[in-house]
Amino acid sequence: MTTIPELMRVLQFGDSLLPVGSFSFSNGLESAVQLGIVHDVESLREFVRTASKQAATGDGIALLVAFRAARAGDDAILDQADRAIFNRKLAEEMRTMTVRMGRKLAEMSQRVIGCPISERWLKRIREGSTPGCYPVAQAVTFASLGLSEQDAFAVHQYGLAGMMVGASLRLMKIHYLDAQAVLFDVNQDAESAYERIANADLEQMSGFAPILDLAASVHVRSHVRMFMN
Amino acid sequence: MNSIDPELAPYLDEPRQLPTGSFGKQAMLRLKFENRGTRSILSFSERRAPLLVQRALYCDEGMPEMPVVYVITNSGGILQGDRYAIDFEIGENACAHITSQAATKIHEMDANHAAQTQEIVLHEGAYLEYLPEYVIPFRHSRFQTKTNIRIAASATLIYSEILAGGRKHYGTGESFEFDLFSSTVAARRLDGQDLFVERFVIEPAKFPVSGIGTMSGFDVFGNVILLTPRENAEAIYSQIQPTWNRETSCFSGASLLPNDAGLIFKVLGKDTAVVRHEVREFWSRVRPQIKGQPVPPPFAWS
Repeated sequence: MTTIPELMRVLQFGDSLLPVGSFSFSNGLESAVQLGIVHDVESLREFVRTASKQAATGDGIALLVAFRAARAGDDAILDQADRAIFNRKLAEEMRTMTVRMGRKLAEMSQRVIGCPISERWLKRIREGSTPGCYPVAQAVTFASLGLSEQDAFAVHQYGLAGMMVGASLRLMKIHYLDAQAVLFDVNQDAESAYERIANADLEQMSGFAPILDLAASVHVRSHVRMFMN
Repeated sequence: MNSIDPELAPYLDEPRQLPTGSFGKQAMLRLKFENRGTRSILSFSERRAPLLVQRALYCDEGMPEMPVVYVITNSGGILQGDRYAIDFEIGENACAHITSQAATKIHEMDANHAAQTQEIVLHEGAYLEYLPEYVIPFRHSRFQTKTNIRIAASATLIYSEILAGGRKHYGTGESFEFDLFSSTVAARRLDGQDLFVERFVIEPAKFPVSGIGTMSGFDVFGNVILLTPRENAEAIYSQIQPTWNRETSCFSGASLLPNDAGLIFKVLGKDTAVVRHEVREFWSRVRPQIKGQPVPPPFAWS
């Protein structure tokens, strides 16, 4: 049973307004809207669902590995998970997003929570010996807060879907209540997504979403853009 | 044998024909190329059916010094229980072009799966074009391919994988009706430093691939990896504009890979002709940049 302070920590560090800059990213949605791939509530729902699935089978696996490493105080495995994420981000803007938000969260956790493992990790990011990807920052933060890996996974999945749905309100004609319904719908998949990846190792991180990848490569060359990816 | 990945767990039963990995089903192909001054040669070749190669040809008019090798299969495609092991090594400053004789057909399966490993090594200054024809996974086929690349910082590799959704014009038409297509490409420097990993696990029955975000109604996916020194990658990248063409039904674009590995070019199309054309256009920018030599126009019947 989650205690009240635990729940409040999940709320605080899972908040879409957490100052890590997620509001400046759209995870490829901006291009998808510009190209007409996403044009209504249904196509938005499917696009966000695909992105969430990719996040679970890719970054989600590394997040759980990093969480367990942080719990065990194993810096080497933590950095392995960090590099595994970075080396699989084949689109430049996706790398930018993950390391920018990762560093911001690492800095915040170190200041707000203060914990030896996050302090050491932040030091290695600053030295350039590890990239500092966002899911690893979430893993370190949630492990430092004494929360569970399910909490970390939930916040990871919620954060991505929330970011995209938040961006959709600024990118397309959509009723704000429909946007909430999309987020509610997509989040229902998270439990089964967790069960599928809970025992996977870094080698199994995978994905298949050519349209998402291509949307990212279009965005980097766009002249008019509101979001950083 | 490596550890078994979980996606293969349902597919380990024995086929009711030649046992998995037995003679005639365990193909091997090892090729080595070396620079011999005025031209490169295929200096070593070892093969076991159903994969084979004959002699290297010098048939590329754009690069007459480059050996061209066609990989042939005498089994008419990949069958359940097949295990292929492919090794290519390109020596210092050597060049080579490897392709396949025809599209790779991965036949229908009702037992086990087929698997392939590729080890590709490029030494300093080496140049390899590995551009096989497209792959057609038939209904209920299960295929896993793992490609490990080790490449020197001064070498260049262009490697393409083109995946068709199935036998588009067979029966009522197939589109992503295979059980599993899993492809991993991992690249490292010769000293072991990781460059990048890309791993697709496509299981259309578990997660539909026709949807928005994945294939969005496209039928063919081309993925071209170009590993090359940074200045080459940037020069080629600057020439490539993403395209989104509703008339020809083609969507393509490139990204710079992490760790200064090079770049990746992706293209989606409604049919293989469009995707092959785009891949060829990309390749036609690569060779002049790296070797200062042109890619000749395609054969009239290709």
